Amino acid sequence: MPFQQGSARTRQRTVLLVGIAVLLAALVLAVVLASVLTHGERELSPQMLKWKDRGTTRNLQEVILGRCYNYITARYPELGDKDCLKIWESLKHAFIYKNPCNITSEDYQPLMELASHPIPCNKSLFWSKTSDLAHRYTKSNQNFLTLEDTLLGYMADRVSWCGDPSAPGINYESCPKRSECESNPSSVFWKMASKMFAEAACGVVQVMLNGSVEAGAFRSSSIFGSIEIFNLNPDKVSAVHIWLMHDIGGPQSESCSGHSIKRLKSILEERNFKITCEDNYRPVQLLQCVHNPDHSDCRLCTNATEAP
Amino acid sequence: MNSSEVQGKKWKGEGTTLNLENIVIGRCYEYIRIVNPAVGEKNCSEIWEAFKNAFINKDPCSILPKDYELFINLSLHEIPPNKSLFWENNQLLVNSFAGRGRRYMSLADTLFGFFGDFLNWCGQENSAELDYESCPTTEECENNAVESFWRMASVTYAEHSSGVIHVLLNGSAAGGAYPDPGFFADYEIPNLQKDKISQIVIWVVDDIEGPDIESCGTHSVKILENRLKTLGYDVTCTDNYKSVMLLLCLDYPDDSKCTLSSSAPAAQRGPVSSDRRGSWNKLMIVSFELLLQ
Repeated sequence: MPFQQGSARTRQRTVLLVGIAVLLAALVLAVVLASVLTHGERELSPQMLKWKDRGTTRNLQEVILGRCYNYITARYPELGDKDCLKIWESLKHAFIYKNPCNITSEDYQPLMELASHPIPCNKSLFWSKTSDLAHRYTKSNQNFLTLEDTLLGYMADRVSWCGDPSAPGINYESCPKRSECESNPSSVFWKMASKMFAEAACGVVQVMLNGSVEAGAFRSSSIFGSIEIFNLNPDKVSAVHIWLMHDIGGPQSESCSGHSIKRLKSILEERNFKITCEDNYRPVQLLQCVHNPDHSDCRLCTNATEAP
Repeated sequence: MNSSEVQGKKWKGEGTTLNLENIVIGRCYEYIRIVNPAVGEKNCSEIWEAFKNAFINKDPCSILPKDYELFINLSLHEIPPNKSLFWENNQLLVNSFAGRGRRYMSLADTLFGFFGDFLNWCGQENSAELDYESCPTTEECENNAVESFWRMASVTYAEHSSGVIHVLLNGSAAGGAYPDPGFFADYEIPNLQKDKISQIVIWVVDDIEGPDIESCGTHSVKILENRLKTLGYDVTCTDNYKSVMLLLCLDYPDDSKCTLSSSAPAAQRGPVSSDRRGSWNKLMIVSFELLLQ
């Protein structure tokens, strides 16, 4: 009968619809549970700000503590009075739970005070656009120290950190690039540390610049050009020696007589520093040759028994 | 150190490095997060526990290499082929030359080697404490915590090396460039895996201002070359390999051996020119450059 058939079809349709609804609900529930569980493990707060640069280094605390103890125990035992735990805590408090675009130098002041230490005279080595070469040099020749060879720089080198107002207060996913905001934890840190490194320098200081860079060996926009040269103390620093290095086989964009070097010299002379400049300072060039031994610039005089 | 202080100490060697636990756990994370993240995830606390249990609460003269077996198993990782660099009597030089694993991976550039490099440690019987006062030297007893660690680490390093193997020896060393007994002789050579090794390249480099006591084909180097050849390896040997010599020259830039023939920057710069002498040096440089890519 038509009425009975109609109600049976309706019932079937209802059952089908209910079945589909239940399935959908179960699916949605499963997805939600899955995301909550996996995110729970990583403590990711959905409200954390998102940035363009790499996030805080995982196990930052262990790395920083280990580096601090390694530095004072194995490398410079004369710094035995440093409290590495306090130093770590002061670093953490500089950025944890803070908006990473609002970092100030006051945030880092306690850390800077705890971790700073005197630097022997005549050993400071500044650098600009020569990071790899300068650090390889100080690793092989302990007569010079870059910022990254001081306790502060040693702890912070090649790690990153930033906070976030939401729990857990540290952002492991991303951190702001300088282009996103200038007052980010990294930029503020390195500016302050560089200023202090310059202030601490005494005697003769050295700077390794790159004469193969198109934009010029000395740039006012670099940390060296904007912060370090202006924080050298003329009462402590007697002279600045410039080492102008060219890449082996690279272009000779600038030499000691170049335009930007002249500008650097005038800035320094105005502050009463003596300046010298050397193209391709020999020991550093030898280091460059380690990687290019067969280049014509790396040919050694023949192994004669007599001096040349 | 006056004699009364020495009398009070159990052993003749330096005690455990202060803050050992923090340093090594920090190094472990430093390695897996920064130095060589390619090794993947490792449990650094577990590694520390395994390391500690090798020697804690034991007679400090009874520690055997196999006591570090669990530590090694937890910290082991692949050593890329052609990157192994063995050495004798030139630890700091090797450290510099290897470039923290970028050019070569010496034992100190592996996780297990990085862990203990330049540190000292020992335990004491009937105590869970590390001994910070003194530790036995190898002369006092061979089976001490540090010696056994490096023996185990050296064996492991050799077992996992492959491809072209490099050995850097000091031609100015008083006891000979290839010391026997020595770590390379006793723990590394016997554990090289012949079927995984294509060639063994020996470099004998003299100190810049040091005497030329030994070279390829002479004295202990000859003994080494013969030993390896007898074992069936393809062996080459080079004296004063240029790249290493240039690194030594950093401290002696004015020495006659270190004078570059071009003392002023060249007027014209172009692509890296190649030296067509067809020497081993060139072949090795080309190989390194390929490896570095």
